[in-house]
This record gives sequence, C-alpha cells and structure tokens, in this order.
Amino acid sequence: MYNILQRLGGITSFAMSTLMALIVVISLTTPLLPSNPTHEVTLHSVQTTTGRMVDPFDRTSRSAEYARLTFDVDADLSSMFNWNTKLLFAFITADFVSPGFDTNRVVIWDRIIRSKRQAKLRLRKHHNKYLLRNYAMSFRGVEAANLTLHINPVPYLGIMYDKSMVSIPFSIPRPEKASK
Amino acid sequence: MELLSNAKKYGVRSLLLQGLTFLSVLTSAFMIWKGLSLFTNSESPVVVVLSGSMKPAYDRGDILFLHNGYSPIAVGEVVVYKINDKPIPIVHRVMKVHTENETGKQYLLTKGDNNNADDRGLYNPGQMWIQRDEIIGRVKGFVPYAGMGTIWMNDYPQLKMVLLGTLCVLSLFSND
Repeated sequence: MYNILQRLGGITSFAMSTLMALIVVISLTTPLLPSNPTHEVTLHSVQTTTGRMVDPFDRTSRSAEYARLTFDVDADLSSMFNWNTKLLFAFITADFVSPGFDTNRVVIWDRIIRSKRQAKLRLRKHHNKYLLRNYAMSFRGVEAANLTLHINPVPYLGIMYDKSMVSIPFSIPRPEKASK
Repeated sequence: MELLSNAKKYGVRSLLLQGLTFLSVLTSAFMIWKGLSLFTNSESPVVVVLSGSMKPAYDRGDILFLHNGYSPIAVGEVVVYKINDKPIPIVHRVMKVHTENETGKQYLLTKGDNNNADDRGLYNPGQMWIQRDEIIGRVKGFVPYAGMGTIWMNDYPQLKMVLLGTLCVLSLFSND
C-alpha cells in the first residue's frame, strides 16, 4: 500500500499542476476583460526657465533649460479595475523631436492608483512632478511636442498587458526661448 | 557500504541507469533554461525581486518573467538592468528615453516607483544614463510570492544546509 510520504507527494504534485493550470488560464483571460476608461488632458501653459533645479548627479543641471507645464487631467479609470487588477500606474509623458534625436520621451507626472475610489482623477492646474529638460542643455530646435496620458495596469498575477496609449496625444506649444 | 550492498542486490546496470536518469533530468533542465534564454534574448529570463523599491507593484519574493527581444525600449516599461561592473540586477521603471537619430543609440533613465529620486545614485560614478545593452529584459509576466524560498535561502544560509541535509537523508532511506 501507499505510505504517508507517497500520499503527500501525490497531493502536492496534483495541487501544483492545478495551480499552474489556473495561473495560465488567469493570465490569458485577464487582458480580454472589457473596460471603457475616459480621459482628457488640457494644457494651460508652458514656461521655460534656466537652471533653477540642482541635481547632485548632473553637472549640467545648473545651466540647463527646464520647462514647467500647467495642465488639467480629467479621467475616470474605475472601469479598468477588474478582479485581477492590483493597481494602475498612470503617467503623463512629453515627447518631442530635437536635433540629432528622433524620439525623446520623458515622464513628467505619475500616480499610483490603488482602488476604484482613487481612479477618478480630477486635477486642476497641476505642474510637472519631474523635471522636463532636453538631452542637450537647451530646447533649441525642439519641435512636434506631444503630451500623452498612459495607463499601465499591474495585475495581481499574470501577463503585463499594455493598455497604455489609450489616450489622446496633445500638442504642446514649443517652449519659449529662455531669456538670453 | 549501502551502495555496495545495493549494487549486489540490484546489479551494476540498474545503478548506472539511475545515474543516467539523474543526469538526463539535470541536462534537460539546463537545456530548457538556455533555450528560454535564447528565445527571449535575455541572460536570465526569470528573476526574483530582491528589494521593495517597486512597491506596491512588485515586492520582495515576487517572480518576474522577462522578455528582452531586440526592439528599442519604450518609456514607462518596467525593465531589469545590470550596470556594468555591478553584480546585482535591478527592477525599475524607465522614466526618460532619448534615442539618437543616426545610431539608434538609446539613453535611458530609470526610477523605482517607491523611490523619491531617480537611479543616478545607483549607476556607476559619473554615469548619467544607461544603454540598451545594460538591460537584461522587460517584465512581461508576474507571479507573486513564488520566489520567497530564494529570498529565505539568501537571508538564512543555514536553511540551505538544512534542506540539503534532509534531502540527502531522505534519499538514503528511500527504497526506490
């Protein structure tokens, strides 16, 4: 007959394979769950200043140009919360073309949304949380700037499917030249 | 002693067969790992999160499945990177991407969701950006807590000894 170790082994291996199958099923089905988020970003103004911020690891930070944006965000992301959503990572990027660089994409604001209650965003006259500067010191020759809201859902378990880009890009005016 | 008596009982051939089975299990595990590595273009396609710097998205002991591929990195992606000359891989989110026109070379800046500052303090002294080839992979799949055993074994090396010991003792006393 079977002894206790063999029984234990059998139960464990069955539990493991069931768990594996469940993990695969959950991972594959979660991205198919429907959602209809609403989102809107409005840009009020862009101001450019020179070298106010100091980054201890960046020697050029004192003399570089920084853009300060003022924007509104209206979004209702609560429908993106399903039973396998741990959190939503919402972030706004500014992207632009500069001489020598065909894509520059910088996160200027982010927020971790952990519940349906937090998922209704209504921000008024917010400024960028992170510094916006070019790879070069100045914004000279920078064109085709866009502001985009991205949502990146993080599941409790499974595939990191990307529902970002669900937003409308906005063009931001070319930052004014810093006074010379 | 037992080995000798076993050899007498079952014959040398069956002992060799046992050794062969053991070896084939080992090599097939190694082959699967290397095959995955080749498929994902990543030196380690499965990693365990070692720090809480990506809380609340990922915590210590979670297992991440990586895919590196050959395409350029996009902003907002969670990547695992390893700075040249530093042994520990780090899981953080990409916050800035600057791509050069001619070479396609990417200048990337990362930050942990739970950290206040970006990662320039973690890079080599004087290093401002990380490059595409320092990235081991982007996070594609996620299983929570499954790597907790690795964390415990890292934190308490005695545990490893105890586990190995029990395995040895069990294999001595098992009769198949």
